[in-house]
Amino acid sequence: MNVLIVGGGKTLYFLCRNFTAKGYGVIIVNRNREECVQLARQLSGTVVCGDGSDPRILKEAGAMGADAVLAITPNDQDNLVICQLASIRFGVLRTVALANDPDNAEVFEKLGVSAFSTTQIVGSLIEQRASLEQITNLVPVGEGRVNVTEIVLDVHSPVVGKLLKDINLPENALIAVVIRNNQPIVPRGANDLLAGDHVVLITLPENHGPVLKVFTGEKK
Amino acid sequence: MKNNLYIVVVGCGRVGAHLANRLSREGHSVVVVDTDEASFNDLSPDFSGFRIHGNATEITVLKETKVEQADVLIATTHEDNVNLMVAQVAGKIFGVSRVLARVLDPKREEVYAQLGIETVCPTSVAAEMFLRAVSNGVAPQEGIQP
Amino acid sequence: MREKEFLRKRYGAILAYTGLILALSGLLMLLPLVALFGHPNEAKDASAFTVPAVCLGLPGLLLWGIFRPFRPTSSVTLTIQEGGVIVVTSWTAVILFSAWPFMASLNMGFSHALFESVSGWTTTGLSVVDLTIASQMILLWRSTMQLAGGAGLAIIMMSAIVGPTGIGISSAEGRSDQLVPHVRQSARLVLIIYSCYASGGALAYWIAGMSAFDAVNHAFAAVSTGGFSTRTESIGYWDSTAIEAVSLPLMLLGNLSFVTAWFLWRGKLRPVARNGEVRLGAVLITLSGAAMFFLTCQTLYPQLEKSIRVAVFETVSAITTTGFSTVGYGNWNAFGLLLLIVLMLIGGGTCSTAGGIKQYRFYLLCKLLTWEIKRSFMPRTAIFERPVWVGSRRVFVDDATVRQVVVFVFLYLATFVFGVMLLCACGYSVGDSLFEFASALGTVGLSVGVTSAQMPDAVLWAEILAMFLGRLEFVVVIVSLLKLGRDGRLMAARTPKGK
Repeated sequence: MNVLIVGGGKTLYFLCRNFTAKGYGVIIVNRNREECVQLARQLSGTVVCGDGSDPRILKEAGAMGADAVLAITPNDQDNLVICQLASIRFGVLRTVALANDPDNAEVFEKLGVSAFSTTQIVGSLIEQRASLEQITNLVPVGEGRVNVTEIVLDVHSPVVGKLLKDINLPENALIAVVIRNNQPIVPRGANDLLAGDHVVLITLPENHGPVLKVFTGEKK
Repeated sequence: MKNNLYIVVVGCGRVGAHLANRLSREGHSVVVVDTDEASFNDLSPDFSGFRIHGNATEITVLKETKVEQADVLIATTHEDNVNLMVAQVAGKIFGVSRVLARVLDPKREEVYAQLGIETVCPTSVAAEMFLRAVSNGVAPQEGIQP
Repeated sequence: MREKEFLRKRYGAILAYTGLILALSGLLMLLPLVALFGHPNEAKDASAFTVPAVCLGLPGLLLWGIFRPFRPTSSVTLTIQEGGVIVVTSWTAVILFSAWPFMASLNMGFSHALFESVSGWTTTGLSVVDLTIASQMILLWRSTMQLAGGAGLAIIMMSAIVGPTGIGISSAEGRSDQLVPHVRQSARLVLIIYSCYASGGALAYWIAGMSAFDAVNHAFAAVSTGGFSTRTESIGYWDSTAIEAVSLPLMLLGNLSFVTAWFLWRGKLRPVARNGEVRLGAVLITLSGAAMFFLTCQTLYPQLEKSIRVAVFETVSAITTTGFSTVGYGNWNAFGLLLLIVLMLIGGGTCSTAGGIKQYRFYLLCKLLTWEIKRSFMPRTAIFERPVWVGSRRVFVDDATVRQVVVFVFLYLATFVFGVMLLCACGYSVGDSLFEFASALGTVGLSVGVTSAQMPDAVLWAEILAMFLGRLEFVVVIVSLLKLGRDGRLMAARTPKGK
C-alpha cells in the first residue's frame, strides 16, 4: 500500500515510522527544505520538497499511484485543497484531511472530504480521563462511532460478585473481554466478575456514561 | 447591477481593498474580512461597510459576517487554498448564490472549474492580455472587450 | 502653488455639500406653515418663515448647482476633516437663518433670537421666548428645529439620493457607529426609526390627553431629547401621570444609541443586555431615582405618588438630557440640585440625540478604574487585555481610545468650570451657575431661572457657545475652525512672481 502524506512535525515523523514498519510505501511532501533534509535522513520513504496543494508537486510525488493521501498540515484550507485535488485530479481512493478547527470536520465531510479532528479526540480523551480514574483506555473505533473502554473494578463496584447474566446493561453495550490475573476471558452469562478484574467494554457514545455508571457505582 | 447587494469580501489586500472601496461607493453593503488589522488602512474614507478582523477559514468568523444573508462572496486573499475553501464553504454550506474565488495557480484553477466554482485567475488573464497586445501590436487595455 | 489649486477643488466639493444641506434646511423652514391650517389668522406672520426659507434655500441650491462638478469622483473622496468643515459651516449658516422668524415675528433682539435658534438645533431646550405671546408657527418651528437637530443634518443629507457615500460627514457630526454595512442605508434606517418614535410619540401624547398640536410638538421635543414645550411650565402644566408616563419611554428611546435601538427592533436582546452603556444607564437611573426620592422629594412633596413621579421624571429628564420638567427647582435642597447637575454632566448614550459627556465615556472611565485595580493584583509580567462589548462584537480597549476619552472629558470639564466662573462673575450664585451651565453644555434644558429674556449678554453668549460646542462635541469645531483658518490663509496668499 502506498501512502502519500503532506505535513510536518512530530505527528508526521511518528506516523511515517509506523507505516514503514508495517511495510507501506511512504511518500512525504513538506514545504520546508530544512525539515525535508532531516526527514530524508531519518526515514526511509521518499521526501519531496514543495507545496502539497500544487498539482505539479502532487504529480511528481506520485499521487497517481498512491492508494491513500493524508493531509495533516496546520492549515485547514491546505488540507482541504490537497485532498480535493488528490481525489478529483488524481483519482486517489482514500483521502483524509486533518481539521484543526473542530467545526471544520463537519464542513469537510459536507464537501465530500473525509476528515478528523485531533482536537476533538484529544479533548474527549482528557475529559474522560480527568473525570473517572478507573478508565484507563479509551479508543474511538469505527470513526468515533464506537468506544472501547477498559475499566478496573474495585471492591466497591456494584457488579463485583455478580454473574454476567444478572447485570443490567443498557442497550447496545457489550462486555467484550475480562482480564483476570493477566488472563483474558471472553465471558458468557455464567461468568462472574471479581474485584481487580479489568473489564473491556464496547459502548456507543450515547450510552457510554450510563454504562460506566453500572460498573463504577454512583460516582461523579 | 441591482442596487444594494450584500457582499462579503474575504481578504483586504490590494485587490480586496480596491473591490471593497468601489462596491461600497456604488451603494452596496460590504463586509470585509482579513487576518491583518493593518490591512484595513488601505480602505478609503469612502468605505462605509463593516470590517471583521479574523480568519475566514474558521466557521465562527464566517458566521460573524452574516454570510447566510450575502448575495455575493468574493474570496481574494493571497492564498489560493484559503480562497477555494472559503468559496466552497460559502457556496455549499451557507448557500450563497454567487461565489467567486481568486486562484493564482492556473493548474489549480482547472481542477476547480470542474467542481463548479467560479474562479478568476489573474495569472492567466494577465498572460492573455499580454499575448493579445503582442500579437495585435496594440496597447494591452485596448484589447479588452467592453 | 499646486496646493492652492488642490484646495480650490476640495472647497468646491465642500461648498457643494454645504449648499445641499442649506437647500434642504430651507425647505424645512417651510414646515411650520402647516400650522396655518389650524390658525389662518396667523397668515400675516407667514413671511417670517417664507423669507428666510428662500434666503437660505436659494443660495443653497445655487451653491449646489455651481459646485456640483467638484463633487468627489470615484478616485477622490471627502476626508473626515472636510466633513467637519461642512458640518461646522452648515450648522452655523442654518442656525443664523433660523433666528430670523423669532426676530420678525416676536420682535426679539438678534442675540436672543440666535439663542433660541441654537437651543433648538442643539436640542437643548433652554428658552428666552415668552410662550404666552408666541404664535403657533413659532412654537411648531421650535419643535421642528429640535427634531431636525436631533436627527442631524448629516443624516438628513445622507439619505438623499444625491448624498455622498463616505463616512466623513456623519463621523464629524458624532454619529460614527453604523447600523448596516452602508452609510446611506444606515442613515435611512436611522431616519425611519426616528420617525417611528416621533409619530408613535405624538399619537401616545394625544391619547394621554394633550391637544393634537401639543402632542406633535412634545413628541418632537421628547424623541430628540430637546425639551422645548408649548407651555411655560413644561410637562408640569398638565400634572398628569399618563402624560409623564408617555414621556418617560420617549425620552429613554431618544437617549438610546441608534445602534442599540436597531438591535432591539430586530429582537436581538443579548447584545442590548451586554451593552455597558445600557447597563450603566439602568443602574444610574435606578440609584439616582431612589436617592432623589428619599433625600429630596419625600420632604418636598408630601403626597407619596407625587414625590415618586417627580423623582423618576426629573432623574430621567436630566440624564437623557431632554429637559422636560414637572416642577420648579426653587425649593429644592442642595442634594437634589447637585444630583441633577451630576446627571446632566454624565449625559445620555453615544450615537443618540442626547448630550453631556455621554454614558459610554463614563462607563469606560469606571471600567478603567476597575481594570487598574485588578491589574495591581496580577503578576508583573502578565498580559492584561481590556474587553468591552460593542454591539454584538467584543472589542479590546486600546490606549488610543483611552486617550481620546480622557482628553474629551478634560476639555468638557475645563469648559464647564470656565463657564461657571463666568456666570458667577456676572453675579449668579455658585449653585445656580453650576446648574445652568451644566444644562447648557450638556444640551439638557432644565433651568433654575438664570436663563431668561433679562439675562446679561455675557451669560447669553456663554450659553450659546456652550450649547454649540456641546452638541458638536468640541473637537470637530476646534479642528474645523483651525483648518478653515489655515486654508483661508493659504488661498489668500499672493502667488510668487515667478509662477
